[in-house]
Amino acid sequence: MSLAEEYTDTTDASRLERGLAYFQRNSRAYLLIAPTALFLLAVVGYPILETFRLSLYQSPADSNIETFVGLQHYAEIVTSDIFYQLLWQTGRWVVVGVAGKTVMGLLIAVHLKGDIRGRKFFRTAFLIPWGIPYAISAVVFRWIEHPQFGFLNAILLKLGLIEQGIGILGNPDIAWLGVVVADIWIGTPFMAIIFLAGLQSIPQELYEAAAIDGAERWHQFCYITLPQLKSVILIATLLSTIWTFVSFDTIWTMTGGGPLSTTATLVIHIYQVGLQNGNLGRGAAYSVVGFLFLFVFAIIYLRVYTRGGDEL
Amino acid sequence: MTMAGYDRSRLRKVRLYGVLLALLGVMMLPFYTMFSSTLKPENEIFSAPATLVPSDPTIQAYLDVWTQTDVLLWIANSFVISLGTVALTLALAIPAAYSCARNDFVGKRTFLLSVLVVQMFAPVVLIVGLFDVITQFGLFNTYLAVIIPAAAFTLPFNVWMLYGYFKTIPVALEESARIDGASQFQILTKIVLPLTKPALVASITYTFLYAWNRLLFVLTFLTDSAKYNVPRGVFSMVGALQTDWRMMLTVSVIGIVPLLILFAFLEEYIVAGMTAGAVKE
Repeated sequence: MSLAEEYTDTTDASRLERGLAYFQRNSRAYLLIAPTALFLLAVVGYPILETFRLSLYQSPADSNIETFVGLQHYAEIVTSDIFYQLLWQTGRWVVVGVAGKTVMGLLIAVHLKGDIRGRKFFRTAFLIPWGIPYAISAVVFRWIEHPQFGFLNAILLKLGLIEQGIGILGNPDIAWLGVVVADIWIGTPFMAIIFLAGLQSIPQELYEAAAIDGAERWHQFCYITLPQLKSVILIATLLSTIWTFVSFDTIWTMTGGGPLSTTATLVIHIYQVGLQNGNLGRGAAYSVVGFLFLFVFAIIYLRVYTRGGDEL
Repeated sequence: MTMAGYDRSRLRKVRLYGVLLALLGVMMLPFYTMFSSTLKPENEIFSAPATLVPSDPTIQAYLDVWTQTDVLLWIANSFVISLGTVALTLALAIPAAYSCARNDFVGKRTFLLSVLVVQMFAPVVLIVGLFDVITQFGLFNTYLAVIIPAAAFTLPFNVWMLYGYFKTIPVALEESARIDGASQFQILTKIVLPLTKPALVASITYTFLYAWNRLLFVLTFLTDSAKYNVPRGVFSMVGALQTDWRMMLTVSVIGIVPLLILFAFLEEYIVAGMTAGAVKE
Protein backbone atom coordinates (compact mmCIF):
# COMPACT_ATOMS: atom_id res chain seq x y z
CA MET A 1 0.00 0.00 0.00
CA SER A 2 1.50 3.30 -1.02
CA LEU A 3 1.63 6.20 1.26
CA ALA A 4 -0.93 8.06 -0.80
CA GLU A 5 -3.47 5.21 -0.62
CA GLU A 6 -3.01 4.86 3.06
CA TYR A 7 -3.61 8.57 3.41
CA THR A 8 -6.88 8.43 1.47
CA ASP A 9 -7.94 5.38 3.41
CA THR A 10 -7.63 7.00 6.80
CA THR A 11 -9.49 10.12 5.75
CA ASP A 12 -12.34 8.00 4.46
CA ALA A 13 -12.61 6.17 7.73
CA SER A 14 -12.37 9.29 9.79
CA ARG A 15 -14.88 11.03 7.55
CA LEU A 16 -17.37 8.28 8.26
CA GLU A 17 -16.54 8.43 11.95
CA ARG A 18 -16.84 12.16 11.99
CA GLY A 19 -20.14 11.89 10.19
CA LEU A 20 -21.49 9.42 12.74
CA ALA A 21 -20.26 11.52 15.62
CA TYR A 22 -21.89 14.57 14.06
CA PHE A 23 -25.15 12.72 13.65
CA GLN A 24 -25.03 11.52 17.26
CA ARG A 25 -24.40 15.01 18.55
CA ASN A 26 -27.37 16.28 16.57
CA SER A 27 -29.54 13.20 16.90
CA ARG A 28 -32.29 15.04 18.72
CA ALA A 29 -32.49 17.71 16.03
CA TYR A 30 -32.80 15.06 13.32
CA LEU A 31 -35.26 13.02 15.34
CA LEU A 32 -37.60 15.98 15.69
CA ILE A 33 -37.73 16.73 11.96
CA ALA A 34 -37.91 13.04 11.00
CA PRO A 35 -41.70 12.57 11.34
CA THR A 36 -42.42 15.60 9.16
CA ALA A 37 -39.80 14.61 6.62
CA LEU A 38 -41.07 11.02 6.42
CA PHE A 39 -44.70 12.13 6.29
CA LEU A 40 -44.06 14.51 3.41
CA LEU A 41 -42.00 11.90 1.60
CA ALA A 42 -44.88 9.43 1.89
CA VAL A 43 -47.75 11.79 1.08
CA VAL A 44 -46.10 14.12 -1.44
CA GLY A 45 -42.79 12.58 -2.53
CA TYR A 46 -44.10 9.11 -3.24
CA PRO A 47 -47.17 10.28 -5.20
CA ILE A 48 -44.85 12.41 -7.33
CA LEU A 49 -42.81 9.33 -8.23
CA GLU A 50 -46.02 7.35 -8.67
CA THR A 51 -47.33 10.01 -11.05
CA PHE A 52 -44.16 9.79 -13.16
CA ARG A 53 -44.37 5.99 -13.22
CA LEU A 54 -48.09 5.96 -14.06
CA SER A 55 -47.55 8.38 -16.92
CA LEU A 56 -45.62 5.66 -18.73
CA TYR A 57 -48.45 3.15 -18.46
CA GLN A 58 -51.87 2.58 -19.86
CA SER A 59 -53.71 2.21 -16.57
CA PRO A 60 -57.46 2.23 -16.03
CA ALA A 61 -58.48 3.23 -12.50
CA ASP A 62 -60.90 0.35 -12.10
CA SER A 63 -58.48 -2.50 -12.76
CA ASN A 64 -55.02 -3.69 -11.83
CA ILE A 65 -53.90 -4.21 -15.39
CA GLU A 66 -51.12 -1.89 -16.43
CA THR A 67 -49.52 -1.89 -19.84
CA PHE A 68 -46.22 -0.16 -20.37
CA VAL A 69 -46.54 2.35 -23.19
CA GLY A 70 -43.42 4.48 -22.68
CA LEU A 71 -43.74 8.06 -23.79
CA GLN A 72 -46.85 7.43 -25.86
CA HIS A 73 -49.09 9.60 -23.63
CA TYR A 74 -46.73 12.54 -23.93
CA ALA A 75 -46.46 12.16 -27.69
CA GLU A 76 -50.23 12.07 -28.01
CA ILE A 77 -50.65 15.06 -25.72
CA VAL A 78 -48.29 17.39 -27.56
CA THR A 79 -49.76 16.47 -30.93
CA SER A 80 -53.38 16.93 -29.84
CA ASP A 81 -55.39 20.08 -30.45
CA ILE A 82 -57.00 19.94 -27.03
CA PHE A 83 -53.59 20.47 -25.39
CA TYR A 84 -53.05 23.82 -27.09
CA GLN A 85 -56.63 24.82 -26.43
CA LEU A 86 -56.01 24.03 -22.74
CA LEU A 87 -52.80 26.07 -22.66
CA TRP A 88 -54.59 29.04 -24.17
CA GLN A 89 -57.55 28.70 -21.80
CA THR A 90 -55.28 28.27 -18.77
CA GLY A 91 -53.23 31.28 -19.82
CA ARG A 92 -56.17 33.63 -20.16
CA TRP A 93 -57.70 32.29 -16.96
CA VAL A 94 -54.48 33.03 -15.02
CA VAL A 95 -53.68 36.39 -16.63
CA VAL A 96 -57.18 37.87 -16.37
CA GLY A 97 -57.76 36.39 -12.91
CA VAL A 98 -54.48 37.58 -11.39
CA ALA A 99 -54.78 41.01 -12.99
CA GLY A 100 -58.31 41.39 -11.63
CA LYS A 101 -57.31 40.32 -8.12
CA THR A 102 -54.28 42.61 -8.12
CA VAL A 103 -56.22 45.69 -9.23
CA MET A 104 -59.13 45.05 -6.87
CA GLY A 105 -56.74 44.26 -4.01
CA LEU A 106 -54.76 47.46 -4.57
CA LEU A 107 -57.94 49.50 -4.77
CA ILE A 108 -59.17 48.16 -1.44
CA ALA A 109 -55.77 48.37 0.29
CA VAL A 110 -55.13 51.97 -0.75
CA HIS A 111 -58.49 53.03 0.64
CA LEU A 112 -58.06 51.09 3.88
CA LYS A 113 -54.56 52.39 4.52
CA GLY A 114 -55.39 55.67 6.26
CA ASP A 115 -56.60 56.25 9.76
CA ILE A 116 -60.22 55.49 9.03
CA ARG A 117 -63.08 54.81 11.36
CA GLY A 118 -64.37 51.23 11.44
CA ARG A 119 -61.13 49.87 10.04
CA LYS A 120 -61.45 46.50 11.79
CA PHE A 121 -64.98 46.12 10.49
CA PHE A 122 -63.95 46.88 6.90
CA ARG A 123 -60.93 44.62 7.11
CA THR A 124 -62.98 41.70 8.44
CA ALA A 125 -65.73 42.25 5.89
CA PHE A 126 -63.30 42.38 2.98
CA LEU A 127 -61.62 39.22 4.26
CA ILE A 128 -64.70 37.00 4.37
CA PRO A 129 -64.86 35.94 0.69
CA TRP A 130 -61.39 34.42 1.07
CA GLY A 131 -62.40 32.31 4.03
CA ILE A 132 -65.56 30.59 2.85
CA PRO A 133 -65.50 27.36 0.83
CA TYR A 134 -64.86 27.92 -2.88
CA ALA A 135 -67.65 25.50 -3.64
CA ILE A 136 -70.10 27.76 -1.81
CA SER A 137 -68.86 30.92 -3.58
CA ALA A 138 -69.15 29.02 -6.82
CA VAL A 139 -72.79 28.01 -6.33
CA VAL A 140 -73.66 31.54 -5.26
CA PHE A 141 -72.11 32.94 -8.45
CA ARG A 142 -73.95 30.28 -10.43
CA TRP A 143 -77.12 31.56 -8.86
CA ILE A 144 -76.24 35.20 -9.57
CA GLU A 145 -75.58 34.32 -13.20
CA HIS A 146 -78.65 32.11 -13.53
CA PRO A 147 -80.22 32.78 -16.97
CA GLN A 148 -83.78 33.15 -15.66
CA PHE A 149 -83.75 33.85 -11.93
CA GLY A 150 -80.33 35.47 -11.46
CA PHE A 151 -79.57 38.89 -9.97
CA LEU A 152 -77.18 39.83 -12.74
CA ASN A 153 -79.83 39.50 -15.40
CA ALA A 154 -82.34 41.32 -13.22
CA ILE A 155 -79.95 44.26 -12.86
CA LEU A 156 -79.00 44.32 -16.53
CA LEU A 157 -82.68 44.19 -17.49
CA LYS A 158 -83.50 46.99 -15.10
CA LEU A 159 -80.72 49.14 -16.56
CA GLY A 160 -82.05 48.39 -20.02
CA LEU A 161 -78.74 46.92 -21.16
CA ILE A 162 -80.29 43.66 -22.33
CA GLU A 163 -83.76 42.78 -23.49
CA GLN A 164 -83.96 39.22 -22.26
CA GLY A 165 -82.04 37.07 -19.82
CA ILE A 166 -78.71 35.67 -20.98
CA GLY A 167 -77.16 32.41 -19.81
CA ILE A 168 -73.52 33.29 -19.30
CA LEU A 169 -72.32 29.91 -18.07
CA GLY A 170 -74.04 28.09 -20.91
CA ASN A 171 -72.48 30.24 -23.59
CA PRO A 172 -69.14 28.86 -24.88
CA ASP A 173 -67.92 32.37 -25.78
CA ILE A 174 -68.34 34.01 -22.39
CA ALA A 175 -68.69 31.18 -19.86
CA TRP A 176 -65.02 31.53 -18.80
CA LEU A 177 -65.62 35.19 -17.94
CA GLY A 178 -68.53 34.16 -15.74
CA VAL A 179 -66.15 31.88 -13.81
CA VAL A 180 -63.27 34.37 -13.73
CA VAL A 181 -65.49 36.89 -11.97
CA ALA A 182 -66.09 34.43 -9.14
CA ASP A 183 -62.38 33.62 -8.97
CA ILE A 184 -61.45 37.31 -8.77
CA TRP A 185 -63.99 37.79 -6.00
CA ILE A 186 -62.48 34.88 -4.06
CA GLY A 187 -58.85 35.93 -4.58
CA THR A 188 -59.15 39.67 -3.97
CA PRO A 189 -59.07 39.59 -0.13
CA PHE A 190 -55.66 37.91 -0.02
CA MET A 191 -54.21 40.57 -2.29
CA ALA A 192 -55.85 43.37 -0.32
CA ILE A 193 -54.45 42.15 3.01
CA ILE A 194 -50.94 41.59 1.66
CA PHE A 195 -50.91 45.01 -0.03
CA LEU A 196 -52.25 46.63 3.12
CA ALA A 197 -49.38 45.14 5.13
CA GLY A 198 -46.96 46.38 2.47
CA LEU A 199 -48.48 49.87 2.41
CA GLN A 200 -48.09 50.23 6.15
CA SER A 201 -44.34 49.75 5.91
CA ILE A 202 -43.93 52.71 3.52
CA PRO A 203 -42.48 55.67 5.51
CA GLN A 204 -45.14 58.36 5.89
CA GLU A 205 -42.51 61.09 5.39
CA LEU A 206 -42.31 60.23 1.70
CA TYR A 207 -45.94 61.24 1.27
CA GLU A 208 -45.57 64.33 3.42
CA ALA A 209 -42.60 65.54 1.41
CA ALA A 210 -44.47 64.88 -1.82
CA ALA A 211 -47.53 66.73 -0.54
CA ILE A 212 -45.40 69.76 0.28
CA ASP A 213 -44.02 69.63 -3.25
CA GLY A 214 -47.63 69.72 -4.40
CA ALA A 215 -47.77 66.23 -5.90
CA GLU A 216 -51.25 65.08 -6.81
CA ARG A 217 -52.58 61.91 -5.17
CA TRP A 218 -52.39 60.03 -8.43
CA HIS A 219 -48.77 61.03 -8.83
CA GLN A 220 -48.05 60.00 -5.26
CA PHE A 221 -49.53 56.62 -6.08
CA CYS A 222 -47.45 56.21 -9.23
CA TYR A 223 -44.14 57.56 -7.92
CA ILE A 224 -44.20 56.49 -4.26
CA THR A 225 -46.72 53.74 -3.59
CA LEU A 226 -46.10 51.53 -6.62
CA PRO A 227 -42.27 51.59 -6.51
CA GLN A 228 -42.23 51.02 -2.75
CA LEU A 229 -44.67 48.14 -3.08
CA LYS A 230 -42.78 46.52 -5.93
CA SER A 231 -41.43 43.50 -4.09
CA VAL A 232 -44.69 42.90 -2.21
CA ILE A 233 -46.62 43.04 -5.49
CA LEU A 234 -44.16 40.65 -7.06
CA ILE A 235 -44.48 38.07 -4.28
CA ALA A 236 -48.26 38.40 -4.07
CA THR A 237 -48.88 38.11 -7.82
CA LEU A 238 -46.51 35.14 -8.01
CA LEU A 239 -48.36 33.30 -5.26
CA SER A 240 -51.65 34.28 -6.83
CA THR A 241 -50.47 33.01 -10.22
CA ILE A 242 -49.68 29.62 -8.72
CA TRP A 243 -53.01 29.42 -6.88
CA THR A 244 -54.99 30.55 -9.90
CA PHE A 245 -53.16 28.07 -12.11
CA VAL A 246 -54.11 25.17 -9.85
CA SER A 247 -57.58 26.42 -8.87
CA PHE A 248 -60.02 23.55 -9.08
CA ASP A 249 -63.06 23.83 -6.80
CA THR A 250 -64.48 27.01 -8.36
CA ILE A 251 -64.40 25.91 -12.00
CA TRP A 252 -65.48 22.39 -11.16
CA THR A 253 -68.51 23.57 -9.20
CA MET A 254 -69.55 26.29 -11.64
CA THR A 255 -69.20 24.55 -15.00
CA GLY A 256 -67.31 21.27 -14.59
CA GLY A 257 -65.10 22.56 -17.41
CA GLY A 258 -67.97 23.06 -19.87
CA PRO A 259 -69.65 24.18 -22.05
CA LEU A 260 -67.72 22.43 -24.82
CA SER A 261 -64.64 22.38 -22.53
CA THR A 262 -64.25 26.15 -22.87
CA THR A 263 -63.78 26.75 -19.14
CA ALA A 264 -61.44 23.79 -18.66
CA THR A 265 -57.88 24.55 -17.59
CA LEU A 266 -54.95 22.16 -17.46
CA VAL A 267 -55.78 20.99 -13.93
CA ILE A 268 -59.46 20.54 -14.73
CA HIS A 269 -58.41 18.34 -17.64
CA ILE A 270 -56.11 16.32 -15.34
CA TYR A 271 -59.12 15.56 -13.19
CA GLN A 272 -61.45 14.80 -16.07
CA VAL A 273 -59.06 12.45 -17.83
CA GLY A 274 -57.41 10.84 -14.82
CA LEU A 275 -60.23 10.42 -12.34
CA GLN A 276 -63.54 11.07 -14.07
CA ASN A 277 -62.75 9.01 -17.16
CA GLY A 278 -60.48 6.73 -15.18
CA ASN A 279 -57.49 6.95 -17.51
CA LEU A 280 -54.87 7.19 -14.77
CA GLY A 281 -51.92 6.97 -17.16
CA ARG A 282 -53.03 9.84 -19.38
CA GLY A 283 -54.08 11.89 -16.35
CA ALA A 284 -50.65 11.31 -14.83
CA ALA A 285 -48.96 12.47 -18.01
CA TYR A 286 -51.00 15.68 -17.92
CA SER A 287 -50.03 16.04 -14.25
CA VAL A 288 -46.36 15.88 -15.19
CA VAL A 289 -46.97 18.73 -17.63
CA GLY A 290 -48.59 20.58 -14.71
CA PHE A 291 -45.49 19.82 -12.58
CA LEU A 292 -43.30 21.49 -15.19
CA PHE A 293 -45.28 24.71 -14.96
CA LEU A 294 -45.30 24.64 -11.16
CA PHE A 295 -41.59 23.88 -11.18
CA VAL A 296 -40.90 27.06 -13.14
CA PHE A 297 -43.18 29.10 -10.85
CA ALA A 298 -41.52 27.55 -7.79
CA ILE A 299 -38.02 28.42 -8.95
CA ILE A 300 -38.99 32.03 -9.55
CA TYR A 301 -40.77 32.16 -6.20
CA LEU A 302 -37.86 30.66 -4.26
CA ARG A 303 -35.48 33.07 -5.98
CA VAL A 304 -37.54 36.07 -4.98
CA TYR A 305 -38.30 34.72 -1.51
CA THR A 306 -34.74 33.90 -0.55
CA ARG A 307 -33.20 36.95 -2.18
CA GLY A 308 -30.49 38.16 0.16
CA GLY A 309 -30.11 34.63 1.51
CA ASP A 310 -30.36 35.67 5.16
CA GLU A 311 -33.65 33.93 5.89
CA LEU A 312 -32.39 30.61 7.11
CA MET B 1 -56.71 75.29 9.02
CA THR B 2 -58.27 77.58 6.43
CA MET B 3 -61.90 77.26 5.49
CA ALA B 4 -60.98 75.97 2.02
CA GLY B 5 -58.54 73.48 3.51
CA TYR B 6 -61.19 72.25 5.89
CA ASP B 7 -63.67 71.79 3.07
CA ARG B 8 -61.11 69.97 0.98
CA SER B 9 -60.23 67.50 3.73
CA ARG B 10 -63.90 66.89 4.38
CA LEU B 11 -64.52 66.31 0.71
CA ARG B 12 -61.62 63.89 0.66
CA LYS B 13 -63.11 62.01 3.59
CA VAL B 14 -66.50 61.77 1.96
CA ARG B 15 -64.89 60.50 -1.21
CA LEU B 16 -62.79 57.96 0.72
CA TYR B 17 -65.77 56.51 2.58
CA GLY B 18 -67.82 56.65 -0.59
CA VAL B 19 -65.30 54.52 -2.46
CA LEU B 20 -64.88 52.15 0.50
CA LEU B 21 -68.60 51.61 0.82
CA ALA B 22 -68.94 51.07 -2.91
CA LEU B 23 -66.14 48.47 -2.82
CA LEU B 24 -67.72 46.85 0.21
CA GLY B 25 -71.04 46.77 -1.63
CA VAL B 26 -69.47 44.98 -4.59
CA MET B 27 -67.75 42.44 -2.34
CA MET B 28 -70.87 41.85 -0.24
CA LEU B 29 -73.32 41.58 -3.13
CA PRO B 30 -72.98 37.79 -3.47
CA PHE B 31 -73.74 37.38 0.23
CA TYR B 32 -76.74 39.64 -0.11
CA THR B 33 -78.02 37.64 -3.09
CA MET B 34 -77.56 34.40 -1.24
CA PHE B 35 -79.17 35.57 1.96
CA SER B 36 -82.07 37.48 0.42
CA SER B 37 -82.94 34.51 -1.81
CA THR B 38 -83.26 32.24 1.22
CA LEU B 39 -85.83 34.62 2.69
CA LYS B 40 -88.08 34.47 -0.35
CA PRO B 41 -91.01 32.09 -0.56
CA GLU B 42 -90.53 29.32 -3.10
CA ASN B 43 -92.56 30.95 -5.88
CA GLU B 44 -90.65 34.20 -5.54
CA ILE B 45 -87.19 32.63 -5.80
CA PHE B 46 -88.23 31.15 -9.11
CA SER B 47 -89.68 34.27 -10.66
CA ALA B 48 -88.01 36.10 -13.51
CA PRO B 49 -86.53 38.63 -13.38
CA ALA B 50 -85.30 38.24 -9.81
CA THR B 51 -86.69 40.61 -7.20
CA LEU B 52 -83.91 42.59 -5.53
CA VAL B 53 -85.69 42.67 -2.16
CA PRO B 54 -87.88 39.80 -0.88
CA SER B 55 -91.44 41.08 -1.09
CA ASP B 56 -92.76 38.76 1.58
CA PRO B 57 -89.81 37.55 3.73
CA THR B 58 -90.16 34.14 5.36
CA ILE B 59 -87.82 31.84 7.27
CA GLN B 60 -89.57 28.75 5.91
CA ALA B 61 -86.42 27.67 4.06
CA TYR B 62 -84.52 27.53 7.34
CA LEU B 63 -87.21 25.33 8.85
CA ASP B 64 -87.27 23.00 5.83
CA VAL B 65 -83.51 22.62 5.50
CA TRP B 66 -83.08 20.41 8.60
CA THR B 67 -85.55 17.83 7.37
CA GLN B 68 -84.80 18.00 3.65
CA THR B 69 -80.99 17.98 3.68
CA ASP B 70 -78.11 16.52 5.69
CA VAL B 71 -76.68 19.90 6.62
CA LEU B 72 -76.03 18.99 10.27
CA LEU B 73 -74.22 15.82 9.28
CA TRP B 74 -72.06 17.75 6.80
CA ILE B 75 -71.15 20.33 9.43
CA ALA B 76 -70.26 17.57 11.91
CA ASN B 77 -68.09 15.88 9.27
CA SER B 78 -66.40 19.18 8.49
CA PHE B 79 -65.52 19.48 12.18
CA VAL B 80 -64.11 15.95 12.28
CA ILE B 81 -61.99 16.58 9.20
CA SER B 82 -60.82 20.05 10.26
CA LEU B 83 -59.97 19.14 13.85
CA GLY B 84 -58.22 15.96 12.70
CA THR B 85 -56.14 17.93 10.24
CA VAL B 86 -55.23 20.53 12.88
CA ALA B 87 -54.15 17.83 15.34
CA LEU B 88 -52.03 15.94 12.81
CA THR B 89 -50.46 19.09 11.37
CA LEU B 90 -49.48 20.52 14.75
CA ALA B 91 -48.14 17.20 16.00
CA LEU B 92 -45.77 17.16 13.04
CA ALA B 93 -45.03 20.86 12.65
CA ILE B 94 -44.22 21.85 16.24
CA PRO B 95 -41.28 19.46 16.76
CA ALA B 96 -39.89 20.11 13.28
CA ALA B 97 -40.13 23.88 13.54
CA TYR B 98 -38.66 23.84 17.04
CA SER B 99 -35.76 21.68 15.95
CA CYS B 100 -34.94 24.02 13.07
CA ALA B 101 -35.21 27.13 15.20
CA ARG B 102 -32.96 25.84 17.98
CA ASN B 103 -30.34 23.78 16.16
CA ASP B 104 -27.94 24.26 13.33
CA PHE B 105 -27.45 21.05 11.43
CA VAL B 106 -26.47 19.82 8.03
CA GLY B 107 -29.56 19.50 5.85
CA LYS B 108 -31.64 22.10 7.67
CA ARG B 109 -31.68 24.48 4.74
CA THR B 110 -32.57 21.64 2.37
CA PHE B 111 -35.34 20.50 4.69
CA LEU B 112 -36.88 23.96 5.03
CA LEU B 113 -36.70 24.68 1.32
CA SER B 114 -38.14 21.28 0.41
CA VAL B 115 -41.03 21.98 2.74
CA LEU B 116 -41.59 25.28 0.94
CA VAL B 117 -41.60 23.49 -2.40
CA VAL B 118 -44.39 21.21 -1.16
CA GLN B 119 -46.55 24.29 -0.82
CA MET B 120 -45.95 24.90 -4.50
CA PHE B 121 -47.03 21.35 -5.32
CA ALA B 122 -50.74 21.98 -5.36
CA PRO B 123 -52.85 18.94 -4.51
CA VAL B 124 -54.70 18.91 -7.81
CA VAL B 125 -51.62 18.14 -9.93
CA LEU B 126 -50.85 15.31 -7.53
CA ILE B 127 -54.37 14.01 -7.33
CA VAL B 128 -53.87 11.12 -9.76
CA GLY B 129 -50.76 9.90 -7.91
CA LEU B 130 -52.44 10.48 -4.56
CA PHE B 131 -55.47 8.51 -5.66
CA ASP B 132 -53.22 5.55 -6.38
CA VAL B 133 -51.46 5.86 -3.03
CA ILE B 134 -54.65 6.31 -0.99
CA THR B 135 -56.14 3.21 -2.62
CA GLN B 136 -52.94 1.19 -2.10
CA PHE B 137 -52.95 1.97 1.62
CA GLY B 138 -56.62 1.04 1.90
CA LEU B 139 -57.58 4.51 3.09
CA PHE B 140 -60.26 5.10 0.47
CA ASN B 141 -63.56 6.20 2.02
CA THR B 142 -62.06 6.93 5.44
CA TYR B 143 -61.71 10.35 7.07
CA LEU B 144 -57.95 9.78 7.01
CA ALA B 145 -58.04 9.84 3.20
CA VAL B 146 -58.95 13.51 3.51
CA ILE B 147 -57.07 14.42 6.68
CA ILE B 148 -53.69 13.08 5.54
CA PRO B 149 -53.45 15.03 2.26
CA ALA B 150 -54.87 18.15 3.91
CA ALA B 151 -52.22 17.92 6.63
CA ALA B 152 -49.47 17.47 4.04
CA PHE B 153 -50.46 20.64 2.23
CA THR B 154 -50.90 22.75 5.36
CA LEU B 155 -47.61 21.57 6.89
CA PRO B 156 -45.37 23.95 4.92
CA PHE B 157 -47.18 27.03 6.14
CA ASN B 158 -47.23 25.75 9.71
CA VAL B 159 -43.57 24.74 9.80
CA TRP B 160 -42.44 28.08 8.43
CA MET B 161 -44.77 30.14 10.57
CA LEU B 162 -43.78 28.38 13.81
CA TYR B 163 -40.11 28.25 12.84
CA GLY B 164 -40.06 32.01 12.40
CA TYR B 165 -41.83 32.52 15.70
CA PHE B 166 -39.72 30.09 17.75
CA LYS B 167 -36.63 31.94 16.62
CA THR B 168 -37.86 35.11 18.30
CA ILE B 169 -38.14 33.44 21.72
CA PRO B 170 -34.90 34.04 23.68
CA VAL B 171 -32.86 30.91 24.34
CA ALA B 172 -31.95 32.36 27.74
CA LEU B 173 -35.51 31.67 28.93
CA GLU B 174 -35.11 27.99 28.17
CA GLU B 175 -31.65 27.80 29.67
CA SER B 176 -32.74 29.23 32.98
CA ALA B 177 -35.62 26.73 33.06
CA ARG B 178 -33.17 23.93 32.36
CA ILE B 179 -31.02 25.06 35.28
CA ASP B 180 -34.13 24.91 37.43
CA GLY B 181 -34.41 21.27 36.45
CA ALA B 182 -37.15 21.36 33.80
CA SER B 183 -37.12 18.58 31.21
CA GLN B 184 -37.03 19.31 27.49
CA PHE B 185 -40.71 18.41 27.21
CA GLN B 186 -41.63 20.69 30.10
CA ILE B 187 -39.66 23.54 28.57
CA LEU B 188 -41.58 23.13 25.33
CA THR B 189 -45.05 22.80 26.85
CA LYS B 190 -44.69 25.18 29.82
CA ILE B 191 -42.49 27.93 28.43
CA VAL B 192 -42.12 27.91 24.66
CA LEU B 193 -45.64 27.04 23.51
CA PRO B 194 -47.46 29.54 25.76
CA LEU B 195 -45.20 32.26 24.37
CA THR B 196 -45.98 31.05 20.85
CA LYS B 197 -49.72 31.51 21.30
CA PRO B 198 -50.25 34.12 18.54
CA ALA B 199 -48.45 31.96 15.99
CA LEU B 200 -50.28 28.85 17.18
CA VAL B 201 -53.67 30.53 16.87
CA ALA B 202 -52.77 31.69 13.35
CA SER B 203 -51.61 28.17 12.45
CA ILE B 204 -54.69 26.50 13.84
CA THR B 205 -57.04 28.99 12.14
CA TYR B 206 -55.31 28.63 8.78
CA THR B 207 -55.28 24.83 8.96
CA PHE B 208 -58.86 24.64 10.18
CA LEU B 209 -60.10 26.87 7.35
CA TYR B 210 -58.07 25.00 4.74
CA ALA B 211 -59.52 21.65 5.77
CA TRP B 212 -63.03 23.04 6.19
CA ASN B 213 -63.13 24.58 2.74
CA ARG B 214 -61.62 21.99 0.44
CA LEU B 215 -63.82 20.07 -1.95
CA LEU B 216 -61.16 18.23 -3.97
CA PHE B 217 -60.03 15.58 -1.45
CA VAL B 218 -63.55 14.73 -0.31
CA LEU B 219 -64.76 14.62 -3.92
CA THR B 220 -61.98 12.22 -4.85
CA PHE B 221 -61.44 10.03 -1.80
CA LEU B 222 -64.87 9.80 -0.15
CA THR B 223 -67.76 8.24 -2.03
CA ASP B 224 -69.70 7.48 1.14
CA SER B 225 -72.20 10.33 1.43
CA ALA B 226 -72.38 9.88 5.22
CA LYS B 227 -68.85 11.33 5.37
CA TYR B 228 -69.43 14.41 3.17
CA ASN B 229 -68.24 17.79 4.46
CA VAL B 230 -70.02 21.10 3.83
CA PRO B 231 -68.51 21.91 0.39
CA ARG B 232 -69.10 18.35 -0.82
CA GLY B 233 -72.63 18.45 0.51
CA VAL B 234 -73.35 21.68 -1.32
CA PHE B 235 -71.77 20.26 -4.45
CA SER B 236 -73.91 17.14 -4.21
CA MET B 237 -76.99 19.38 -4.40
CA VAL B 238 -76.01 20.65 -7.83
CA GLY B 239 -78.23 18.54 -10.01
CA ALA B 240 -77.52 17.62 -13.60
CA LEU B 241 -80.98 18.71 -14.68
CA GLN B 242 -82.72 20.15 -11.68
CA THR B 243 -81.11 22.00 -8.78
CA ASP B 244 -82.99 22.79 -5.60
CA TRP B 245 -81.63 26.33 -5.38
CA ARG B 246 -83.70 27.23 -2.37
CA MET B 247 -82.28 24.42 -0.22
CA MET B 248 -78.79 24.76 -1.64
CA LEU B 249 -78.55 28.47 -0.83
CA THR B 250 -79.95 27.89 2.65
CA VAL B 251 -77.35 25.20 3.31
CA SER B 252 -74.69 27.61 2.03
CA VAL B 253 -75.77 30.30 4.47
CA ILE B 254 -75.79 27.85 7.38
CA GLY B 255 -72.49 26.36 6.23
CA ILE B 256 -70.65 29.66 6.48
CA VAL B 257 -72.00 30.67 9.90
CA PRO B 258 -69.25 28.80 11.82
CA LEU B 259 -66.68 30.58 9.64
CA LEU B 260 -68.22 34.01 10.22
CA ILE B 261 -68.00 33.42 13.98
CA LEU B 262 -64.38 32.35 13.58
CA PHE B 263 -63.66 35.49 11.56
CA ALA B 264 -65.27 37.83 14.04
CA PHE B 265 -63.07 36.55 16.86
CA LEU B 266 -59.84 35.68 15.09
CA GLU B 267 -59.59 38.31 12.37
CA GLU B 268 -56.21 39.56 13.62
CA TYR B 269 -54.73 36.07 13.67
CA ILE B 270 -56.06 35.25 10.23
CA VAL B 271 -54.48 38.41 8.86
CA ALA B 272 -51.23 37.64 10.68
CA GLY B 273 -51.24 34.19 9.17
CA MET B 274 -51.98 35.38 5.65
CA THR B 275 -49.23 37.98 5.72
CA ALA B 276 -46.67 35.72 7.37
CA GLY B 277 -47.08 33.28 4.54
CA ALA B 278 -46.15 35.76 1.86
CA VAL B 279 -44.36 38.89 2.99
CA LYS B 280 -41.12 39.16 4.86
CA GLU B 281 -40.64 41.82 7.46
